Amino acid sequence: MKKNKILFTIVLAVFAILVGCNKDFLEIKPKGSLDEGVLATEKGVNTLLIGAYSLLDGVSSQFGWEAASSNWVYGDIRGMVGNKGTDAGDQPDINPLQSYSETSTNPYLNVKWRSVYEAVSRCNSVITVAAKALAAGTITKEQHDSFVKQARALRGWYHFEAWRMWAKIPYVDEKTDLSKVANTEDVKAKIIADLQEGTSLPNNMGQVGRFNGTVANVLLAKAKMQMNKDWAGALANLNAAKTGTKPNGTPIGLAPTYGEVFDIVNRNGIESVYTVQYSVNDGSGAWNGGWGEVLNFPYKGGGGSPGGCCGFFQATQEYVNSFRTTADGLPMLDNSYNNFPVKSDVGLTPSQPFTPDAGNLDPRLDWSVGRRGIPYWDWGKHTGSDWIRDQSYAGPYSPKKQVYQKKQEGQYTEVGNWTSGWTANGYRMIRYADILLLAAECQIETNDLAGALANINAVRNRAANPDGFVMDGAAPAAKYVIAPYKPFTDQNQARLAVRMERKLELGMEGHRWFDLNRWGITQTELNRVLAYEKTVPWGNSMYGSATVGPEDATYPIPQRQIDLSNGKLVQNR
Amino acid sequence: MQITTIVRRTALIFLSMVFSMGIVFAQQRTITGKVTAEGEGPVPGVTVVVQGTTVGTITDMSGTYSIRVQGPSSVLVFSFVGYQTREITVGTQSTIDVVLIPDVVAVSEVVVTGYSSQRKRDITGAVGVVETTALKAIPSGNVVSQLQGRTSGITVIGSGQPGQTSRLRIRGFSSFENNDPLYIVDGIPSSTISMINPNDVESISVLKDAGAASIYGSRASNGVIVITTKKGATGVKVTYDMYTGTQLAGGGPTKDLLNTKEYANLQWLVYRNDGTNETHPIYGPSSNASPTLPGWAADTDWYKTITRNASMSNHDVTLSGGNENAKFFAGVGAFIQNGIIKTTDTKKYTARFNSEFKVLEGRLTIGENVSMTYGSSHGVTNLAEGSPIQMGPYRSQPIVPAIITKPIKGTGHDFVPGEYGGTGIIARLGNNTNALANLERAKDNNNYNLSVMGSAFADVKIMDGLNVRSSLGGRFFNGAYYSFNNSTYENAENNATPSMTEGANYGGHWTWSNTVSYNKTFGDHKVSAVGGYESNKINIYRELGGTRAGYFSDAVDYRTLSNGQTITAAFSSASTPVTLVSQFAKADYSFRDKYLFSATIRRDGSSVFSEDKRYGIFPSFSAGWRIKDESFLKDLSWLSDLKLRGSWGTLGNQLAVNPANAFSLFGGSPDQSFYDISGTGSSSAQGFRKNRIGNPDAQWETNVTTDLGFEATLFNSKIGIVFDWYSKQTKDLLFNPELPGTAGSASQPYVNIASMSNKGLDIELTYKNTFGDLGFNASAVLTTVNNEITKVADGVNFFDWGGSRIGSYNRNQVGHPMSAFFGYQVAGLFKDAAEVASAAKQDGAEPGFFRYADINNDKVIDPKDRTFIGNPNPDFTYGLNLALTYKNFDISTFIYGSQGNDIFNNNKWWVDFWPSFQGQKSQDLLYRSWTPSNTGASVPKASNKSNFSTNTVSSSYYLEDGSFVRMKNLQIGYTMPASSLSKVYLKSVRVYVQAVNLFTITKYSGLDPEIGGGDRAFGVDAGNYPNVKQFIIGLNLTL
Repeated sequence: MKKNKILFTIVLAVFAILVGCNKDFLEIKPKGSLDEGVLATEKGVNTLLIGAYSLLDGVSSQFGWEAASSNWVYGDIRGMVGNKGTDAGDQPDINPLQSYSETSTNPYLNVKWRSVYEAVSRCNSVITVAAKALAAGTITKEQHDSFVKQARALRGWYHFEAWRMWAKIPYVDEKTDLSKVANTEDVKAKIIADLQEGTSLPNNMGQVGRFNGTVANVLLAKAKMQMNKDWAGALANLNAAKTGTKPNGTPIGLAPTYGEVFDIVNRNGIESVYTVQYSVNDGSGAWNGGWGEVLNFPYKGGGGSPGGCCGFFQATQEYVNSFRTTADGLPMLDNSYNNFPVKSDVGLTPSQPFTPDAGNLDPRLDWSVGRRGIPYWDWGKHTGSDWIRDQSYAGPYSPKKQVYQKKQEGQYTEVGNWTSGWTANGYRMIRYADILLLAAECQIETNDLAGALANINAVRNRAANPDGFVMDGAAPAAKYVIAPYKPFTDQNQARLAVRMERKLELGMEGHRWFDLNRWGITQTELNRVLAYEKTVPWGNSMYGSATVGPEDATYPIPQRQIDLSNGKLVQNR
Repeated sequence: MQITTIVRRTALIFLSMVFSMGIVFAQQRTITGKVTAEGEGPVPGVTVVVQGTTVGTITDMSGTYSIRVQGPSSVLVFSFVGYQTREITVGTQSTIDVVLIPDVVAVSEVVVTGYSSQRKRDITGAVGVVETTALKAIPSGNVVSQLQGRTSGITVIGSGQPGQTSRLRIRGFSSFENNDPLYIVDGIPSSTISMINPNDVESISVLKDAGAASIYGSRASNGVIVITTKKGATGVKVTYDMYTGTQLAGGGPTKDLLNTKEYANLQWLVYRNDGTNETHPIYGPSSNASPTLPGWAADTDWYKTITRNASMSNHDVTLSGGNENAKFFAGVGAFIQNGIIKTTDTKKYTARFNSEFKVLEGRLTIGENVSMTYGSSHGVTNLAEGSPIQMGPYRSQPIVPAIITKPIKGTGHDFVPGEYGGTGIIARLGNNTNALANLERAKDNNNYNLSVMGSAFADVKIMDGLNVRSSLGGRFFNGAYYSFNNSTYENAENNATPSMTEGANYGGHWTWSNTVSYNKTFGDHKVSAVGGYESNKINIYRELGGTRAGYFSDAVDYRTLSNGQTITAAFSSASTPVTLVSQFAKADYSFRDKYLFSATIRRDGSSVFSEDKRYGIFPSFSAGWRIKDESFLKDLSWLSDLKLRGSWGTLGNQLAVNPANAFSLFGGSPDQSFYDISGTGSSSAQGFRKNRIGNPDAQWETNVTTDLGFEATLFNSKIGIVFDWYSKQTKDLLFNPELPGTAGSASQPYVNIASMSNKGLDIELTYKNTFGDLGFNASAVLTTVNNEITKVADGVNFFDWGGSRIGSYNRNQVGHPMSAFFGYQVAGLFKDAAEVASAAKQDGAEPGFFRYADINNDKVIDPKDRTFIGNPNPDFTYGLNLALTYKNFDISTFIYGSQGNDIFNNNKWWVDFWPSFQGQKSQDLLYRSWTPSNTGASVPKASNKSNFSTNTVSSSYYLEDGSFVRMKNLQIGYTMPASSLSKVYLKSVRVYVQAVNLFTITKYSGLDPEIGGGDRAFGVDAGNYPNVKQFIIGLNLTL
């Protein structure tokens, strides 16, 4: 029995020791992450700020092309300069967006919403942690202010992006109680205030990817124009921007020729006021390289055309027609260009002969659109339907502006992902011509028609520079006829001119539908374009019975977000 | 089980000694002899009594006995636990040697449960027992798939992919996140048993209710499966088991799909329906009366192209032996299966060594068990876009040659004979890849996993009935993999640059458990108790890997990571381990073997919860009443036994929770938060984001389980019935509600907010009888689960899950079961323009397209009209096992079925709609779709319009009844007569032939109705690796 007792005592002792060890054994810190405290330093806040910049493209491995800030879906397809392209069944969620029949459950809208507000949340993290760092003395007041101004300018921009999609949006800052976010208050003043904060940033921020005073001025002007029709206020900001610099202090201005603007090597060239920076082969597995536009390349199997995927984002015939110029080199502001449609190869196979349109055209067409018979960057001539996924569904045109060149493959495109369409061709978020045309708009509305004419014609004269024509050997690839406007007769004619000029200059760059909304002509203009586009051979199956109603000047607020808000978010229509 | 046997042997020896003292020294003679057991050698401790007297003795260590008897008519009764009792009339013999035959029934009646084993008749919880012989009837390398239909209360679904792990659920779902049961392998908790060789398994018990499982507390809410592996026994035994066979690919879905000519005709039908005019790049102008085919046109049967008849084989050798004080078991096994999809296979090699030693005069038992598994597989994605079944037969046009036989000038590549054909030949061939090329290119990828699992224990007998046991064990695994992603030339969308990914990982878990057990009988009172302390560390895992792109050559021998030009990824990932500390106790008490009570309590502490919420307590109570032993039922002769039982208790779950759940964290990754702030174009600066929002208040998920049941045997135990009704209510169910977008997109924390209910019946029936030489054995199990989500989160009553080209199909909503199908209800097709005009307003409506039901009657079809259109959860599943033996022949069959479940046939989306990519289409679309002259069709008009009224939303069109009955096994065996074997020194030889999946009765039109998937979105057939017919021959040999 004594042996038993000894044994039992030993066992009990072991148990007692074990129970005593509990506490430390159960303390395990998560692996692979940091907490807020570690980040409250200059380096930490800056790194958070870079995180906030990194959603300027809208996309990450969490958010796909649905959220691309280049807005090829929301700006251009919705604005009918482009269509979905590709075939009927790929990305079918775009179909209702382009036929103005989307519901609030459309998944594209939810991804865009989540991307924008994740970006806002990143800005708020910068502001919160910067305050901590300042309190802890790990950064100076000057450093703090620079971080916070950048973060607020970014926050203002992200909110503005949401505003121009949905109008009735919640505003979230670092003090917002996240459980009480509603979209019933007017947020315009807060957006303006955030952007205003950025305008006091210096022009030279040292790095081209940051926001500086110039960038903030342009964004503020855009917000003032779009939200408040504050033309005079916006003009002041635009004028300030015109004399500014890029964020790295280098000069801005019009590039000598039009086409060079879209060349990857010029992504941070003189024309670029702010380009969303894309990088490839940077170890991210391509996610920083044009993920938002990765679908938008010609579709030709087996190589011989860029990207190899996926044939999205084709131009509409109506958009192509609008490049038609009169004998004196001017666009047809009465939209009569549709009576002289640009000839296409629709319905033909590559082996059937085709001669491209011989009429007068604005040279910018062939930098904006790929069409049969016209040289396409350095890829040779576009050969027609073999570059197109389904001509009978989406017509004969290919996108071009963001497409890379053959000689750039591998250097400016990601190697080793499923397509080479991950490029370093950053989205030209603000380019100098945009500033000039916005300024012209403000000038027209404030009745400075001469000033407006000068700005518009600066853009137009650049387009007319024959050094920038698409060449077929030694000769221009088409009959390019373009000339500056004569002085405007009245405000209305000037309006028509600037609006047409934006379409021609900035088409396929994500602006069109937002521009139409700013001008208040969304319904009439798009119904007009729709009526024409339904008459082209592929138009009926693509648009069917689509019509544009007054509600189509916004997108519905994603139903999922309304559901998740517990009734605090309300639908905007 | 071993322990119990020892305890009971000890008890018997003790009882026998009492007997022997009372021997009356009558006269006559002494009988001596030796008792041996079949295949085991001498058996000590066997009780030998003279029938009708109190005269008795027990055998000594060498199995010999000596007993005095009265006369020749005396009968000696030899009895020993686990063996059939033998009665021998003395006659004139003076030496009687007896061979004891194992009593299978008696052995199986000892059931291994949590930390102990019990006689089945004493158990008050719901415990399912699976006969290991039944397991082996299904040729598989994986125990989980063998469990299908073998005991009630479990549901197993798996595909035909070699090496796959089936999905096993016990009594439905109790979590949104993780419903995997806890496996206990020789006392070591594990989240998987894929590394176990089925041939090493000695017993499997399924602990289904709280009464049985709550001793595993916080990890038991999904049920517990307790597995013990084989141990040595007295004597020497060598076995060799093998089988080999072939799996037949069959014809696949080809008969329902189009050939090349038909496909072209379908294009013409689309032109007619849509009024399109164009020159088709392949078939010529649409104005022609019929399409013309180009010279290069093939007529490829893509299913045949990517499949093959495939071999499988298995070999197991076991050695076991020992004496009273030392026992060992060793086994090696090899399982090699090729898949019916080309280049898929799995190989699994296992080795096991179990041993046990008694020292210190039998007071200390020490032992170990260890198994090593090496596995290597070539697998393919399944039930997803890109799976070969989807990419091949359902997406590839038949006109595309799988392999080029004559030169073709493609749009971007000139194809020469021997190359792969593909969608890059010309426009309109679709964007799928060549499924054969994908498979053949992947064959040079490789991977392996090495796993070592085992434990060592020491068991001290402190006094009779009181034992202390400590065991330490765990698992360590290590794996490595590499895969090469070739550049392609044949596709419409090519991969320009080859890349390679290579990586390695290691991980494991360990458990140290210490228990005290006490077993004692005091007259009518029997007490057994076990208590203990356990610590665990699980989820230890680390992985490193990288991807490089740009390879100078595709040569297989050139494939190393270093040879790539550009680093596209370099990563390591470390999981946060979880530690658990637990105390537990269980006490069983029975009075006169008639009234049984049991109580269990476990307290668990887990590192995944913050300090305040760290500990959870999980009690259970159960009771049984052997009512047959009551006087008022004594006289019912047909009723052999009847026990009523019931249990109540709570079980926990923490598997849902990320170990970082309590913390708000920041971090960054190149793909999410890095930015090229300097405009280099080729590098990005590190950026951070809030990547996790913490919830320090998360707590255990708790299941409250009630079980009522009875067990009866009738007609001299020929018929057995086990019946259980259960209710399992999960509260504080951990869910990470999606936060509003305005909160940012950091990982949302888990909060204890949801709840779920499962109710159902488990029924098992057995029948066993012999008619002369004919033995008959039948068993049936039936499982029903009624699963219902009762709460998701405050203000949120559903979440959608799963993805497809047109969004998710599965909605998890309050009032509905997990994973229910959600979408528009198709009311038919619009017959004509008049019907379109009179119907509710519907986008894209036109004759021949879907007319959806206006559920809310507001004359507009919009998202509010979506409804629940199907349920992938079966009403019940069942298994039926029939076995006949006649002389040396045995024949057995096993039938498994599932009734009342729906399948969302996503393959229809690809093949029944022209604009669902330019891939393969169905016979239905060409021949049975709506046309102005066939307005009564159910298949919509062949049209290139992709809109709300055709193929862009989830609808009831895709739903089919997924019920099926499948003959899983038909086996005929022959056991050689013992007489013929003794000459060749063999103990037993059995040969058999077997057919697996011989037939399936189902209305489902797809390849295979066994469709699995994740718990929140299952039952969607997106190209399933089918279970196919197999024909096997096998041999069981004992030396």
